[in-house]
Amino acid sequence: MDLLVEAFRKGNPGAFEAIVRAHQDRVYSFCARMLSDREDALDAAQEVFLSAWRNLSGFRGDAALSTWLLRIAANRCLNRIRRRKSLAEREAAWPVPFGDADDGVTFQPAGAESERPDRLAEACEMGEILTEALSRLDPGSRWMVLLSDVEGFSYEEIASLADVPVGTVKSRLHRARMAMRRLLSPVA
Amino acid sequence: MDCEQARDRLSEYQDGNLDAAAAASLAAHLRGCADCAGCVGSLLAVRELLRNMPPEPAPPELVARVLAAVEAEAGDSVASAPPGEAEAATPFLSRFRIPLEAAAAVLLFASVYWYQRTTLPAVRPPTGPSSVISSEAPKESHSGPAAAKEVAAVNPPSRPRLPRGVPKPPKGDAPAAGPRTWTEASLPSVPALRASTDSEPIVPISPSPGPEEASRAAGAPPSGKRRGPEGDADLLLSRVFAPRPSRLLRPVPYGRDIVVDVKPEDREGAEERIAEATFRFGGIVERIDRGSESTEKGPPGTVRAILPEIAAAGFLEELRRIGTVPSTGLSAATGVPAGPRPGTVAYAIRIRVR
Repeated sequence: MDLLVEAFRKGNPGAFEAIVRAHQDRVYSFCARMLSDREDALDAAQEVFLSAWRNLSGFRGDAALSTWLLRIAANRCLNRIRRRKSLAEREAAWPVPFGDADDGVTFQPAGAESERPDRLAEACEMGEILTEALSRLDPGSRWMVLLSDVEGFSYEEIASLADVPVGTVKSRLHRARMAMRRLLSPVA
Repeated sequence: MDCEQARDRLSEYQDGNLDAAAAASLAAHLRGCADCAGCVGSLLAVRELLRNMPPEPAPPELVARVLAAVEAEAGDSVASAPPGEAEAATPFLSRFRIPLEAAAAVLLFASVYWYQRTTLPAVRPPTGPSSVISSEAPKESHSGPAAAKEVAAVNPPSRPRLPRGVPKPPKGDAPAAGPRTWTEASLPSVPALRASTDSEPIVPISPSPGPEEASRAAGAPPSGKRRGPEGDADLLLSRVFAPRPSRLLRPVPYGRDIVVDVKPEDREGAEERIAEATFRFGGIVERIDRGSESTEKGPPGTVRAILPEIAAAGFLEELRRIGTVPSTGLSAATGVPAGPRPGTVAYAIRIRVR
């Protein structure tokens, strides 16, 4: 069991702040890459830690605390994406993130993309390039790539979180990775 | 395996999720297909890049925002404490949502219990361990017959309940003509017995009554070593049947004061000898007073010994070997002075140089 969690359960007043400080970068980073919006990411990360504060007494320690927090973050981000009005409009033209009908990867429509410069070519650092490439994926695929390739979740964990079959995760991940490969071919 | 099939499986292949046969087949294809091999290479490179993506640093305001949100939810008094702690920090009484009726019932019970305790004859501390109970003719309680009537008025239907096999007293409230005999095993629980002492004589007999008990049953005055001049049958009764005082009602355990007189030449190391005796009986000892007012013969001192209750008698004997315990120093009621925990006794032993 995480020492900070034990301290939190014992009522140590500084324990929760220490937990937030220890995991804030990873949680915020996931939210920011997933939501592509700083304020949204801040709100989502705040929700993640608040939810953790409420439920930390039920944390059994089966997984690492960071994994537990990322699961919360994944759910929160997914809910936010589903709630986003603009994305909902955008996703009307896209396949639903975890629908049964189509598990392909669709990139952003040309119209939306034409409104912004191609930051992928302008990005000078690899981190920015990757973030930009990830943002080109549809939210569902981005969510899976972040969880699988960045955070190291297994197919089964992702399937459980998304409530889809493992086969769907495999195929969607494959397509998303191939898309990332194409996007990053100039630099990778 | 053609290229299309191979590429469909590349992702699983790099994750190591293909079974052995499929992996071998794909590997064989990759050895002969440069395009697919290049595709695997670039996929691996992308995955490595993603794996090594450094986390974006969180904005500095995130911690403050989270703590503020937690504080707002938990209440001002318990910021950043777990929900369980938040409950613990609420005022003590407000954590108990006892219905008013239940509280009133408890209060009523406590009042009646207290009234009975104060009205019934006082239970004096015991004089020593004994499993033999004896009672002579009904002893008049110190509060007098009026008090007994009060008790009867408070508790009219609670006529002492007799154990099975014990002959019922004659009808009416007149005391029995002669003493009755009870066996210890058949005696009822404490409250009933206590009520019985007010209304009728009880002369229990032990399972194998000796001559002393027999003489007592016949009304002879007690002659036991532990018997005091006041006829301590009640004391023995209370020793056996009186409920142990609640921990809440026990006094702060400073222990019973005992004075030990030691000779001037034995003063040195007296505390250590007491401590040694205490440890030998499984207790602990602490120095209370180092004895600031030193006399010509030596400084006084007080130590507190806390022992298991069963070791009390042996410890007192040992104390008599260390020094002289004057009759005023060891009162008759040194039996079970409450210790800090149930089952322990405490003595404050004052060492006096004589």
